[in-house]
Amino acid sequence: MNSRLFLKIFGCCFTVAALAVLVAAVFLSRQMSADVARRTRVDMKAQGQTLALLGRDTIATQISSIAKRTDLRITLIDLSGNVTADSDDDLAGLDNHLNRPEIQQARLRGLGESIRYSRSLKKDMLYVALPIEGAYLRLAKPLGEMDEEVRSLHRFVFRLSAIVLLFSLALAAYFSWSLVRPIRAAKRYLEQVRSGERPNPPSARATDEIGELVEHINGVVNELYGRMRAAQEERQKLEAVFSGMAEGIVVLDENHRIEIMNRRMEEMLLDRRPSEVQGRTLLEIFHSSALQDAFRRLQDRREPVTAEFTLERDPPLILEARMIPLAGTEAGGKRTVIVFQDLSHIKKLERMRIDFVANVTHEIRTPLTAIIGFVETLQSGAVANEETARKFLSTIQDNAQRLNRLVEDLLTLSRFELREGTLHLENLFLAEVLDKVLAVVGAKAGEKDIKVVKEIPEATPPILADRDRFAQILLNILDNAVKFTPNGGRVTVAASSEEPGFLTIRISDTGIGIPKGELPRLGERFYRVDKARSRELGGTGLGLSIVKHLMRAHQGRMDIDSVLGHGTTVSLRFPVAKETR
Amino acid sequence: MEKKHTSSSYEQELQEVKEGLLQSGALVEEAIGKAVKSLVDGDTELAHAVISGDRRVDEIDIDIEERCIRLLALRQPAATDLRFIATAIKVNGHLERIGDMAVNIAERVVLLNDLPRIKPYVDIPRMADIARKMIRDSLDALVRQDLDLANRVRREDEKVDQLEDQITRELITFMMEDPRRIHPALLIMQVAKNIERISDHAEGIAHMVVFLITGRIVRHARSMGEEAP
Repeated sequence: MNSRLFLKIFGCCFTVAALAVLVAAVFLSRQMSADVARRTRVDMKAQGQTLALLGRDTIATQISSIAKRTDLRITLIDLSGNVTADSDDDLAGLDNHLNRPEIQQARLRGLGESIRYSRSLKKDMLYVALPIEGAYLRLAKPLGEMDEEVRSLHRFVFRLSAIVLLFSLALAAYFSWSLVRPIRAAKRYLEQVRSGERPNPPSARATDEIGELVEHINGVVNELYGRMRAAQEERQKLEAVFSGMAEGIVVLDENHRIEIMNRRMEEMLLDRRPSEVQGRTLLEIFHSSALQDAFRRLQDRREPVTAEFTLERDPPLILEARMIPLAGTEAGGKRTVIVFQDLSHIKKLERMRIDFVANVTHEIRTPLTAIIGFVETLQSGAVANEETARKFLSTIQDNAQRLNRLVEDLLTLSRFELREGTLHLENLFLAEVLDKVLAVVGAKAGEKDIKVVKEIPEATPPILADRDRFAQILLNILDNAVKFTPNGGRVTVAASSEEPGFLTIRISDTGIGIPKGELPRLGERFYRVDKARSRELGGTGLGLSIVKHLMRAHQGRMDIDSVLGHGTTVSLRFPVAKETR
Repeated sequence: MEKKHTSSSYEQELQEVKEGLLQSGALVEEAIGKAVKSLVDGDTELAHAVISGDRRVDEIDIDIEERCIRLLALRQPAATDLRFIATAIKVNGHLERIGDMAVNIAERVVLLNDLPRIKPYVDIPRMADIARKMIRDSLDALVRQDLDLANRVRREDEKVDQLEDQITRELITFMMEDPRRIHPALLIMQVAKNIERISDHAEGIAHMVVFLITGRIVRHARSMGEEAP
C-alpha cells in the first residue's frame, strides 16, 4: 500500500488516538496510585486507633502476634523517644526515635505520618504514629506492598490502553483507506486515460467532496473524449479530402522543405515514397527553374503565385502549380501550400482543337483549290472545247459534292458530339433498312464485283433506332467495307443476339485490314490509316467518327476488329425494341 | 533544421549555394531539352529562346562563385565544408559550360532548320535524354551525398559515347551518298558532339561528388591505371 496520503491520514488519526490513550493512561495510573496511598494511610490510621484501644501494655506484650495479624510493623516509643517494644527488631541498637517526623507530628497534632527509607529494614516505609497513654504507637508498612498493588493497577491500565490503541489502529486504517481509495481510483483512471486507454470511469459512491471531485473528473474526461472524437472526425474528413483530391498537394515547412504530400502528388511523382520526398526542397524533387522562380516570387511578396512547368517523367506532365503562403503559424513560420493541377489533358484537348481546325481547313481547301483551278481554266478559254469543258465540269461537280459531304458530315458530327442531335427512335427491322442501303452501295459493289452476303435470321428482333441515322451508320460502314475490299471480294452482314436486350450486327469484309496499332485511333476525326488512299477514294475522314458518336447516341457501341491483309469486322451493338424484349 | 554550426546564417549560406547549383542544373537541363525539341520539331523560335535563356545560367554562375569565395574568405571553412565549397566551385563551372553547350546546340539547330532534313532525329533525343538524366542524377547525388548514384552516373557516359559513334557512322554514309548532305550532316555531328561533351561534364560533376563524399580524387582514374567504377 504505497500511499503517502494514506500514511498521512493514518498517522494523524493514530497519533491523536495514541496521545489520548497515553494521557488517559498516565492520568488514570497517577490517580489510582494516589488513591491506593491515601486508602492505605487511612487504613493504617484506623488500625492504629483501633490498636490504641487495646492499651499500651496489651500491645507491648502481644506485639508480635498483632503485627503478624495486621501485616504491619508495630513499634512502641515512650515519650522520651526510646523504643520500648518493636514487632520486628531487637530493641538493642535502635536509636532515639523522638525526632522522627511522624513522632514529632504525633506529639504536636496527635497524628503523624511520613514516608522514609528505613535504615533498619532497608526499604521505603510508610509510617503512621499516634500517642497512647504516655507513649507513641507507630505503625509501619513497606511501600513495596503498596507498589505491588499499584503495579497491578498499572498493568491493567496498560493492557486497556493497548487494546484501545489496537482498536484505534484498525479504525484509523479503515477510515484513512476509505478516504484514500476513491482518490487512488480516480488517479489510476486518469493515468489510463492519459495512456490512451478507454477505462470504465470510477464510481462516485461517496457524497462528500471527494465524491464530487471524482464526478467532476468523470465529467471532464467525458468532455475531453467528446472533443477528441470531434477533432478526430474533423481530421479524418480533411484527410479524406486531402488524399482524394484530383490535384497534387505539397506542404513546405518554414525551411522550404517538403513536409507532406497527398496521394495524388505521389502518383504524379510516379509513386515515389513520401519518405523519399520528405525533407527535400522543391528543386531537388521537381528540377524546375520555373517552379523555383515562382517560389522566390512568393517569398518576396507573400501572396499566391502560379507557375506552369513540365514535370519530366514518362510521360511528362504539364503542371500548373499554385502556391499559397500558409498564414497563422507561430514563430513566424512561413509554410507554403502548393497545389499542382495536371494540365496535360487540357493541353492535349487544346492541341486537338488546333489540329481539328488545321485539318478542316486542309480538307476544305483541297476541293476548293480544284474547283477554283478548273473554273479559272474554263474561263481562260477551255470552255470552248466542249469535251474538255464537260470533263472539267464533272470534276468541279465531284469536288463540290465532296465539299458538300464534308460540310454535312461536320454538321452531323458537331451536333452529336455536343449531344444535341435528336433521334426519332422507332422499331426498325435490320433487313428492311439494309435493303435500302444496299440499293445505294450495291451499285458500287457490283462495279468491283464484290458479293454482299446477308446472314440475317428470320427471328431477328427489331431494334430501337432512328431510321435515317441507322441508315447512315450502315451506309458508312458498308461504304468503307466495299471501298477497302479488292475486286472480287466479299462483304457479309450478320445479325445475332449475343447479349440480352441487344442485337449485334457484324459487317465483315475480306479487305486490306487495319494494323493493330491503328485500331484505337479509328474514331478520331480526320484520322486516316492510309491518308493518300482514303482521300483518293473520296472519304472525308469523318465517317467512323460519326458512326462512333451516333452509336453512343443510340446507347449502343461500335467495336472494330481486324487482321491486316485478311479483312475487318465492325460490330454494331444496338438495343432491341422494348415490346419484343 | 538542426544547427550544426554556431551561426545559422553560415548554414543558410551553404544551403543557398546548394540551391543555386540545383537551379542552375534545372535551367541547363531544360535548355538541353528545349534545344533538342527545337531540332526535332523544327522550332527555330524555341532555339532562339534557348540562346537568350543562357544569360540566366551565367548570372547564377557568377552568383554562386561570389558566394563561394565570400564563404572561403569570411568563414574559413574546414573539413567537410571546405570540401563542399571546392566541389561547388567546380560543379558550378561544369554547369556553366553545359549551359554554353546547350546554346551551341541551339545555334546549330537554327542553321539546320533552314536546311532540308536529311534524316529523322531518333538517336539525338535519346543521347540528350541520357545526358540530362546524368546532370540530374549527379546533382541529386551531390545533394543527397549518394555515392552509389554518383558512381552510376559515371558509368552512363559510356552509352552516350556509343550513341555518338553510331550517329557519326550513319552520317558518314549519308555524306558519301550525296555531297549536298555534307553541310547538314556536319551540323548534326556538332550537335551530337556537344551532347557528348555535356555528358562528360555531367560525369565531371559525379567525380566531384565522389570527392566530396570520400575525399578521393577519381577524375583521372582511368588514365592513371585505376579500375573505373
